[in-house]
Amino acid sequence: MMKMVRAIVRPEKENDVVLALEAKGFPALTKTHVFGRGKQKGITVGPIHYDELPKVMLMIVTEDESVPVIVDVIQKAAFVGYEGDGKIFVSPVTESYTIRTGAKAE
Amino acid sequence: MLVERTAILRRDKVGPTMKGLDAMGLGAMTLTTVNGRGLQGGNVMTDIDREVPAEYESVSKIVNHLTPASFALAHSLTRPVFWIPKRMIQIVVPVSMKNEVIDLIMSVNRTGWMGDGKIFVSPIGESVRIRTGERGTDSVL
Repeated sequence: MMKMVRAIVRPEKENDVVLALEAKGFPALTKTHVFGRGKQKGITVGPIHYDELPKVMLMIVTEDESVPVIVDVIQKAAFVGYEGDGKIFVSPVTESYTIRTGAKAE
Repeated sequence: MLVERTAILRRDKVGPTMKGLDAMGLGAMTLTTVNGRGLQGGNVMTDIDREVPAEYESVSKIVNHLTPASFALAHSLTRPVFWIPKRMIQIVVPVSMKNEVIDLIMSVNRTGWMGDGKIFVSPIGESVRIRTGERGTDSVL
């Protein structure tokens, strides 16, 4: 079985996370720039309320046994200690295909 | 029972893929612009780098072969981390159509060169068409 790890992290931490993952042997991932807010409903700076905050979503599909390692690496690399550090979601993936070779992994 | 297919494709292959899916009666999809990197760490030169012995396993190749990104890591640089622009399409289909869709995407998108992309299949718990309130298979076909 495989899992998809989706990490929503601070944009300024993207490089740190990617390099840390690569150092652990997980170079393959997909990133999307997303907007979102958490349970603080955005952020208020003075009179201005920011409802949508820019984040980077990293998607990594991996074997089950690598999931704790990846989650740990992302958590350490993306950590700042303030609200807005992000979330990591893990969801099941039943099959994966490499289009170039047609190889199937389950 | 529904499954979601997430395919990460070359940008110039999205049109042909959509045409093929249309012909199968699957017009609906979600399309996202993403950036990605594969086992080569986004280093598009790896494929033509003849200094890397062909018998290297892909993972050991990354560890032993200096890519721009691993160089940057070793020297505490934040750049370069190479990203390759890709398109991600997400389609929710009934389980019965899963294999046809995968075959179609593979045949349309295969060039034989690295960067052809990946297809991921994951289960969908529930699906609702907002306009009518239909659920399950009815909501996607």
